[in-house]
Amino acid sequence: MSRSVVWLLLVGAVVWALLTADVEMAKLGKAGPRLWDFLTRMVPPDLTIWREMLRGLAETLRIAILGTLFAVILSAGFGILASETLMRPAVWRPVRALLAMVRAIPLILVAMLMVGAVGLGPLPGILAITFHATGMLAKFYAEAIDNVATGPVAALESAGASKLQQLRYGIWPQMAPVILRDTVFRFELNLRESLVLGIVGAGGIGLYIQTYVRSFQYEKAASVTLAIVALVLLSELVNTLLKKRFS
Amino acid sequence: MTPAISLSGIGHAFDGAVALAAVDLTVMRGECMALLGPSGAGKSTLLALMDGRLRGWSGAAEVLNAALSAHQPPRRQMRADTGFIFQDFALVERQSVYQNVMNGRLGRTSHWGSLWGRFNDRDHAVVGAVLRDTGLADLAERRADQLSGGQRQRVAIARCLAQEPKLILADEPVSNLDPAHAEKVLELITGAARKRGIGVVFTSHQPELSQRFADRVVGLRDGRILFDHPAGLVSESDIAGLYHGAIPDPQLRVVS
Repeated sequence: MSRSVVWLLLVGAVVWALLTADVEMAKLGKAGPRLWDFLTRMVPPDLTIWREMLRGLAETLRIAILGTLFAVILSAGFGILASETLMRPAVWRPVRALLAMVRAIPLILVAMLMVGAVGLGPLPGILAITFHATGMLAKFYAEAIDNVATGPVAALESAGASKLQQLRYGIWPQMAPVILRDTVFRFELNLRESLVLGIVGAGGIGLYIQTYVRSFQYEKAASVTLAIVALVLLSELVNTLLKKRFS
Repeated sequence: MTPAISLSGIGHAFDGAVALAAVDLTVMRGECMALLGPSGAGKSTLLALMDGRLRGWSGAAEVLNAALSAHQPPRRQMRADTGFIFQDFALVERQSVYQNVMNGRLGRTSHWGSLWGRFNDRDHAVVGAVLRDTGLADLAERRADQLSGGQRQRVAIARCLAQEPKLILADEPVSNLDPAHAEKVLELITGAARKRGIGVVFTSHQPELSQRFADRVVGLRDGRILFDHPAGLVSESDIAGLYHGAIPDPQLRVVS
């Protein structure tokens, strides 16, 4: 395709999007004062709801922790099945395709289905996170297995090491930092994603945001937002520290 | 003296290409042998066979009085008896020098204990002595990926010695070293072997060094043994024939 055709398609797509969507430019002009009004009503944040905030944060954290734990357990199995070095193509190809499909389903959709299946509360959130995270983590684990250098393992075998000793002293030391890094990274993602699960009734602090915004209690919504920002920053800090420790 | 290695009629093909053809070779216990030959001559293949890591070969091979199988790896004890120094060192990068050397004890120590990270006093004593012999005592806590090339090589040698092997096989131990270092490394390997009264087989591209450190030099080309002489009796035409084909050229001097 020539360059001009590409440009034409790009411009065409933007024009089509502007014309067909209900984008009423006039509304944008009036939005300024309204946004200002919205923001001023959030100040000062109402911190008297700290008990609800803590409860919501704790539930979100629990969803992220348990979702990550179950995803790690499932990914250990699926990671082995998806490994090119351990499995035949007849096994790892379909497993990888399955994992790609799992990854392609948006988390919020999985959460809605789980709420439908097991009802409201943190359980559907945990299940949704587990399902969604396994799609990514199992692929990462498979890659960690496939990237193990075979030379040192062969050297241990030559020295008389048993298969288990080779795993313990040759394979695991190479894999562990990668597995740990990927798992911590996935935990941080799980934490961020579990924040919105409450909106569809799958537990966590998202429920409070939705409730406060819908009932025009913007000061309270502001407090919850601050709490979320604090939690995410904290998890990023922990992640950075761990990365330094295990590089 | 009894033989440490005895090979007869060894053949091996690699994707249809002949890697080893009708190789007969005997190495005595305590003997130091150099395998010379151009790249692709089959030196590394022959060494891997002696280490029990080659599959699908034909012929008969006996190492330290036990027959090798062409289909399955040797038993744990036998693998521990044969020490191998890998050309690329094959260290576990994230482990300390100490643990890398301790890995050489895996075939000797208690199996289940080692899985829990426990090694006995004797294991620690052997590793300590080997680290001193190889000049690595000060680097014991350093991670393998933080070492220089020369230090890494010494770790690979130390791991092999920690096995308390009854035979040492070394694949191109001095291929990437300058002459001074190459000499030191060969001194270290052959010295350690003499001290322990065990045999060494090493492959090399350096005829002069090989003759200085080995008792016997074997020339390998296209998977066949071209010559097999005591170190002092290798002639320039032997070397020329090995590296430059059938016509020895007296004008040509082979340096490496």
